[in-house]
Amino acid sequence: MAFNFNWSPLTADAGFYERARDLLTTALNKSPKPPIIVDDIFVTEFNLGSVPPDLEILEIGDLAEDRFRGIFKMCYSGDAFLTLATRVQANPLNTYISAKPSFTSPEPLTASSSLTIPLQITLSEIKLSAFIILVFSKQKGLTIVFRNDPLESLKVSSTFDSIQFVRDYLQKTIEMKLRDLIMDELPAIIHRLSLQLWCPDQVPKEDEEAKEESDAAINPLATPPLDAVDAHGHRLDPVEISSLSLDGGPETQSLFSQKNLEKMDALANAHRTSSLIAPNILEVVFRAWAGQSDKADATATPSASTPNLHRTSSFQGSAHTYTFSDNSSQASGHAPSRPTLVSMGSATTGLSLGSGRHSKAGRKKKTRVVNLRSKTAASEPVSEVGSTSSQAGDSGSEAASTRAPMSEPVIPTTIREAPEDDLAASQSKVRFRPPTDATTSPRASESSGSRAAVPSVPVTAQPSRVTSPQEHVYTRQPSMFPSSPAPQTSAQERPPSYSSRASEKAEATAPIYADGKAQQQQFQQQQQQQWGRAGPQPDMSSVILEQAWITKIAGEIARRVYDEKNRNPGFWEDSHQHDIPPPAYEPR
Amino acid sequence: MREFMNYITNAFYGATGWNEDNKYNELNATSRELIDFPLPRGLRLTLSSLATPHFATSYQLGSVGVVDGSISYLHSSIPLTHIAAQSDKIPLPALLRCYRRLHDLRSPGQHYMLDADPLSGLPPSPQSAQALLGAVSDAAVANGTLAGGKTDQDPSKYTHSLLYGRLYLPKSLLEGMIIKRFTQALQVQVRAVSEQSLRNGGTILGLVQYDKGNYGLEGLYSTDGGLLGFRGLYNFGGDASSSTCDPWTPAPGENSINGNGQAGEKERIYGRFSVGGELYYGTLNKSGGMSLGARFVTLPAHRGTPLTATLTINPLMGNINATYALLAREYCSLATRVEFNVYSYESEWAVGMELWSNRRPAGFLLGASPSNDPEPEPQPPRKKERSFQAKMEWRLDDPEPEPEPAPKSESDKKKNDEYKGVLKARLDNNLRIGLLWEGRAKSLIFSLGTGIDLHKLGEPFRSLGLEVQYSS
Repeated sequence: MAFNFNWSPLTADAGFYERARDLLTTALNKSPKPPIIVDDIFVTEFNLGSVPPDLEILEIGDLAEDRFRGIFKMCYSGDAFLTLATRVQANPLNTYISAKPSFTSPEPLTASSSLTIPLQITLSEIKLSAFIILVFSKQKGLTIVFRNDPLESLKVSSTFDSIQFVRDYLQKTIEMKLRDLIMDELPAIIHRLSLQLWCPDQVPKEDEEAKEESDAAINPLATPPLDAVDAHGHRLDPVEISSLSLDGGPETQSLFSQKNLEKMDALANAHRTSSLIAPNILEVVFRAWAGQSDKADATATPSASTPNLHRTSSFQGSAHTYTFSDNSSQASGHAPSRPTLVSMGSATTGLSLGSGRHSKAGRKKKTRVVNLRSKTAASEPVSEVGSTSSQAGDSGSEAASTRAPMSEPVIPTTIREAPEDDLAASQSKVRFRPPTDATTSPRASESSGSRAAVPSVPVTAQPSRVTSPQEHVYTRQPSMFPSSPAPQTSAQERPPSYSSRASEKAEATAPIYADGKAQQQQFQQQQQQQWGRAGPQPDMSSVILEQAWITKIAGEIARRVYDEKNRNPGFWEDSHQHDIPPPAYEPR
Repeated sequence: MREFMNYITNAFYGATGWNEDNKYNELNATSRELIDFPLPRGLRLTLSSLATPHFATSYQLGSVGVVDGSISYLHSSIPLTHIAAQSDKIPLPALLRCYRRLHDLRSPGQHYMLDADPLSGLPPSPQSAQALLGAVSDAAVANGTLAGGKTDQDPSKYTHSLLYGRLYLPKSLLEGMIIKRFTQALQVQVRAVSEQSLRNGGTILGLVQYDKGNYGLEGLYSTDGGLLGFRGLYNFGGDASSSTCDPWTPAPGENSINGNGQAGEKERIYGRFSVGGELYYGTLNKSGGMSLGARFVTLPAHRGTPLTATLTINPLMGNINATYALLAREYCSLATRVEFNVYSYESEWAVGMELWSNRRPAGFLLGASPSNDPEPEPQPPRKKERSFQAKMEWRLDDPEPEPEPAPKSESDKKKNDEYKGVLKARLDNNLRIGLLWEGRAKSLIFSLGTGIDLHKLGEPFRSLGLEVQYSS
């Protein structure tokens, strides 16, 4: 079998360069230009040169009369060049003013007067090295996808070569722009060209439909070859293939719908401005809609800025209750935000997600919580549990901050066993409470449980009291804080069957919740609801009493846990090691 | 057309005695407004109200393809009782004026007080302006209350503030502004815009303005790019240098000095020079900009044709900008502008014009141009000449002609009020024409504009718009 690639006949076509120039010009002017470019960008010269690129066939996945699919490796260091001409605005103040709202414009008189300078840029000595996935079919034309960033280097020479600063800037900007061009525009151009060649019947409607069509057809990774190999001939396993993303970046566009991500972004930004419109996201249950008992979430979640007081958090699995408590030796002198500890928790592989969100917990508190991950990879919940547990172990005093991420409904679809096994295995080492539901029957747990396990809930409540006066209502909840000496007045607001209701609700809204998650969820909801419900009710005497009590308890717990930890150092490290990185998710 | 809220804000400036023109960035305001007047796009309806003397609201509904709108509220701590807010009573020049008359430097706090409508910027002929001025100083002397001395001693008069907020609805863009006057000479403005698409969600601009009569300084800071700016304007010549002693206290003899001086040189051009500069530096993006400018404006006391000439230079960008505007007739003002860049050799020119009509809008349409009726035209100058003489006399001997200028200015104002509409036009070197016709029909103030591109004669109308404003 032989392939014959012709380089020079391509360029021998007289009309080729002209057409290519036109296509490039339209492609360059399609996207909105930065205000510094005041004129259209024209491609004045374009030459592919005489040196052909080196092409190496890595794999041919499909071969037939009318279709072809293969992966190539292309290296190019030839003498092609490209010259662009445009005009740029040389006054930085002019571009500054033009891009800003006029209401807050400083309204300079003529300091922003324009000075446009013609600019000519020549790109030469282009070095490319790319893995190309090429899909051809007679019906759908030719589709090219670059698997990596193909641009290795290029030389930019312009009218301003004598000015070092401008030259560097241009070099940087053009490299970036060219990467975009090659990755995004070039496949589209080639596709359009191929459509014109092979299936002219599709050309008329190509503008709208063929675009989408090509987008759909563009994903060869959706149907990977049976035995894929990488550049060195080693076999790739399917997981690796699925982790390849088309644009080569770490973005997981296949995991999240781009549209939903944009809407999420808009939603997250909505509270920064006074936007009245909350974007509608499909297939998602907003916490705000979920019902009366959940409404407090929107206003709840005080910030996690309480230094020096010890908290414990409890996370309940379906059958077990694990208590992680802070100790004074560890938490002594913690800064409120404690970035170091958080990053310590995230030092293991995939925790950057959790910690990133933790550190933003204070800011995000008003954001409505939307679940995006109904279809996320299975590894997500594991790492979430791992991260929270490890973090709780490390810096359990971050109750509020761990609550914030927890309050985002992480819905595990498949894997829940790993952390449970892990923790269950360690249960023998650490004395844990028997499987009770602390939120519903705390008295029982207190009477029967060990001292270390008991105060998990009340102590979680404690730091909030220190931060703000509204919190003592929290401690009055009989269910949450049974040993509170305070009169339990506001507790009656709450129906005793709340937890079951809430869990029903949680399951109703998100039936795929795993049990443990649902309970944690509900626990968080409960907490947050209390926090949110807590109005300003100054009752100083009870506050002082409780505070004293809590300080005492906290000290006790801290001591106990410290002892525990000294006795069983393995457990505390163990929880780190089974973290599996969540899929990268960067809100843009 | 000025927006209603701008009109109210100007009324606030008037009520607190702030001279908003004594800033560097208003240096070429006259020609800018004559040439770069905004053209309406699409259909826009504004419903405004000065509900109480302290509180104004305005609702706007527009349609350029999509429907949008805005809601704005304004609160002023000083009652704005001296202005007419009803759209059938608002003096049109206050809303539509282009040629800006100079404010009196000596009394930036007072000139408005006497004027029933402080913003009647309608270019009166020099004589009528002088009559007005005469009325002012007249009343000042007569009452004895107007002197700066009194206002100086009453600081509470100046510590007023204005709050303004506006929400653009589909865009969710929020504008807010606070103007706070601290002392007679110091005023602080804070403006903010909040919008989702902006970096950091919005920007804030802070302005500190210091106006000392013959010089005005301004410092600004914008959170966007950390832009720092400084602007200054210095006035000399004309009235600015004649009142050398203290610009804030109108010396009792000053009027007569002025009058005498002017009497001596009334044939010569008599005006005020201003020079200024601006300097900007963006602390975050490490870029800056500057410009220098000079202006000559004839004072209202000047007998000949009022004119304004400015020259600004941007030495960094090599830009030279010269404008010349004059009030050819009472109803007609013209402006030209030439720009040249010494680095890129690019040049631009533009001419602008405004033409006032005292006919009804329909009559104006039918082609009865105001120049067709020469009858009223020679009359006002003669009258004014007499009034001017009278004023001259009055300045020399006090009480006698006092009754005379007052009715004159009265009639003058009535005459100004007779204006029913104005036609503005501009043309620039790209052969783009802008036409704007504004006026009052019943109690609606309308503004109809179009942009024409002579280069594309196939479809010359680039934009077309109608703006209707009603206020109560």
